[in-house]
Amino acid sequence: MTARTIAPGAGPAIRRRPVPWSKLAWVTLRQRRALLIGGGILLGVFAVYMVVMAVIQNNAYAAVTACHPAAALKCQQLANSFSTSYWGGGAGPVIAGGGAQTVSSLLFAIPVLLGAFAGAPLLARELESGTFRFAWTQGAGRTRWTISTLVLPAIVLVAATGAVTAIFWWYFRPFLADGQVSEMLPLAFPLLGVALAAWTLLACSLAAFLGTLFRRTLPAMAVTLVLYIVLAMATALGIREHYAAPATLQGWNNGAVWVISSWVKAPDGQVLSQSALNSLSQQLPPSVQNSPSPDAFTTWMTQHGYTLWQSVQPDSRFWQFQLTEGAWLLGSSGVLIAGTIWLIRRRGA
Amino acid sequence: MNVIETRALGKRYRRGWALRDCTLDIPGGHIAALVGPNGAGKTTLLTMAVGLTKPTAGALTVLGGEPPGSPRALDLTGFVAQDAPLYRNLPVADMLHVARNLNRRWDQRRAEHRLEQLEIPLRQKVGELSGGQKAQLALTIALARRPALLVLDEPLAALDPVAREDFLAAVVAAAAGDGISVVLSSHVLAELERVATYLIVLTRGQVRVSGTVRELLATHGAGLEEIALRYLRAGLPSSRTEAGQ
Repeated sequence: MTARTIAPGAGPAIRRRPVPWSKLAWVTLRQRRALLIGGGILLGVFAVYMVVMAVIQNNAYAAVTACHPAAALKCQQLANSFSTSYWGGGAGPVIAGGGAQTVSSLLFAIPVLLGAFAGAPLLARELESGTFRFAWTQGAGRTRWTISTLVLPAIVLVAATGAVTAIFWWYFRPFLADGQVSEMLPLAFPLLGVALAAWTLLACSLAAFLGTLFRRTLPAMAVTLVLYIVLAMATALGIREHYAAPATLQGWNNGAVWVISSWVKAPDGQVLSQSALNSLSQQLPPSVQNSPSPDAFTTWMTQHGYTLWQSVQPDSRFWQFQLTEGAWLLGSSGVLIAGTIWLIRRRGA
Repeated sequence: MNVIETRALGKRYRRGWALRDCTLDIPGGHIAALVGPNGAGKTTLLTMAVGLTKPTAGALTVLGGEPPGSPRALDLTGFVAQDAPLYRNLPVADMLHVARNLNRRWDQRRAEHRLEQLEIPLRQKVGELSGGQKAQLALTIALARRPALLVLDEPLAALDPVAREDFLAAVVAAAAGDGISVVLSSHVLAELERVATYLIVLTRGQVRVSGTVRELLATHGAGLEEIALRYLRAGLPSSRTEAGQ
């Protein structure tokens, strides 16, 4: 029996071309409209604040760098006041809020908040409410529908967090230029480059996967939060430093650099143990021990032939590290998205 | 042509077999009533027919040999699941637009015309519609897809008597007017008695009787409800009409 006898006009009316992605995209965007507006307002307010502060801070910092000679008391005071006003911890202008420290710590929460809130309900809501029985029985088919449902929000999130990174970088530039903060440090690295977008993508993919697995939005959000924090901590404290073999630096003042470990060598080249270092510091002359300046200590140590060695990940490796982290996060997100599609394809009703 | 054809079809969930050794031919051109008590396997059979679930055992084809869930089967099958799941937060107009964008075949004019006749406002949110209106909207969407087969799972369960009457009238009109084959399930036969032209009685995951209403009435010389009741009570496999006749 040929298919054309099913219904009058049924055969020729069917185009073999599947439902176009643009139509599926409309469906996905319409269903996520509230989230897009809510998330957009949240990020928009944050972005506007950072833009305003970026202008103020960059101007203030320009005044610091323009001050000559840099060693003059006037210039030192200017630099100190910049730091206390905008970095945080001091009494800055009201608009600076808690300072850059607070802004950057708020930014740390963005990937997991956006990812969990956007990602967890994507499929879990359909499974919870039974609307998957509608969605998966339409002409587009469930695989194309699932791909559109997952991939489009992921692209929007990556674009939005990429834009936030660009603004944050501008906002944060004085502190990086200042040498106060290395962009390799765990407090800055995940907020710069591709990291913020990549971590957001991972959180979203993880939440969508767990939402499909549990068929429930709230447990998926909760477990995403826990797993994300564990993974982000593990990356910051243990995984990231292994992207490349550390470099070794010698010298008492290497500026702001990401130090993995450090040790002191005695004049005879022996590495000092912690207890040896403690007893040495107690034997220092009182003038050095009581000096308010940390330079007094390093000067004394240098004069007596002690050397400080540091195992570091230098700033020059920033992009190498960003791309390494971006690559494995992107890969993991890809696996999670593929896993989600696999779950949906095999899932019964 | 058979709109649903099963051979030794079985489905096992973790709690046990929901449907077992089900061999069944539902010919096209009918309003086929799938009747059985709750838990008889009606929903299982229908969800497999629309491609939502895969069988554990046996074979199932729709629309004359199509595998369920294939692009062609999806294109030509309109399905309204139990409780008519639709996106509650969307206005009716956007719900239509969603369905339109998820399908190759779509008759927007027909959908809007139907909703106008039913006095369902396009701006109203789906979640704010009455049960009857929601069921009618789901049916409208299924019909706007211009299906060859319309599958309705317990479409009347949540409706009041007037809404049931209206809904069935709409189904009959669609079947008669557009030559759509309809398969609908219910645990209450009484309400389908006047519209069904084909009857399948399912209990405990097995087909007890399957045949056209005309044949059944002629053979048994009793009312349809009485016939069904007899099979529901006894569940004697020996008395079932042979499939494929």
